[in-house]
Amino acid sequence: MAQLDNTIHQPVRLQIMSSLVALNAGEEIEFVYLRKILNLTDGNLGAHLAKLEEAGYVKVKKTFVARKPRTFITATGKGRDAFEEHILALRQIIGGSQK
Amino acid sequence: MNITNEDAVQSLAQVEEVMAKTRQSLVSAYAGSFLVLWGFIWVVSYLGTHFFPMRANLIWSITDALGIIGTVFIIRRQYGQGPARRNPSDKQFLLRTILFWPLVFAYACVWLNIVKPGSGIEVNAFLVTLVMFAYVVMGLWFGSWLMVVLGIVVTGFTFVGFRLVPVENYCLWMAVTAGGSLLGTGLYMKLRWR
Repeated sequence: MAQLDNTIHQPVRLQIMSSLVALNAGEEIEFVYLRKILNLTDGNLGAHLAKLEEAGYVKVKKTFVARKPRTFITATGKGRDAFEEHILALRQIIGGSQK
Repeated sequence: MNITNEDAVQSLAQVEEVMAKTRQSLVSAYAGSFLVLWGFIWVVSYLGTHFFPMRANLIWSITDALGIIGTVFIIRRQYGQGPARRNPSDKQFLLRTILFWPLVFAYACVWLNIVKPGSGIEVNAFLVTLVMFAYVVMGLWFGSWLMVVLGIVVTGFTFVGFRLVPVENYCLWMAVTAGGSLLGTGLYMKLRWR
């Protein structure tokens, strides 16, 4: 029986992980694009990313592109596995209630 | 942690929605502006050719030159904004993307020289279907099914136009179907997928 993940279950963090997992493994998304896609504020996205980073589910890289500071975010292998298990747990809840 | 069946359904629906939105937004960030630009250029060029057939070469020379200038402008702007996504383990990605289109046109020149189409419409249908084949390849490469479908649909329109539409109406047909498809798809991406 798969387990729900407390860190991922929070609605904003679930959105963040969904967005990151939609990318190919190893791909990174730029902070501003992620913020725009999820319609969040800088502070809100930053705070939830910090929680996910603390859990080892995402990696945040600060770098320079064309001399401008950019932040890229990617889901780690651990994060992808935790997300998959969380989704499986959600499906089992739905499946269980339909039996 | 206990959650209800309704909560689980809602969460899964939200996951699906965000994943789809992410993929769409990233495709739109790269392709939307190019589709609008070249869709507009095709509509104007085909309409110009339909109404002033004697000036076809001049019209296409001007519009293609404007298209290339516009393409360079969009690439510069996108480069200035920085990439929406990147893959550090794939350092050849940018080089492959930049080399792809000049290679497509180099092959087009070689094949045109070998096949030597007899009319302007044959040249046009060949080039449009070749570009659409490149769209399908790019779509498969980037995992964008919309690009794949767009490429196949416009190829179908071109084939129908080439085989079934009277020669005098070919450009009008292509302006509406081929140009319209590119322009419409680009506008849809930019307005709905931002």
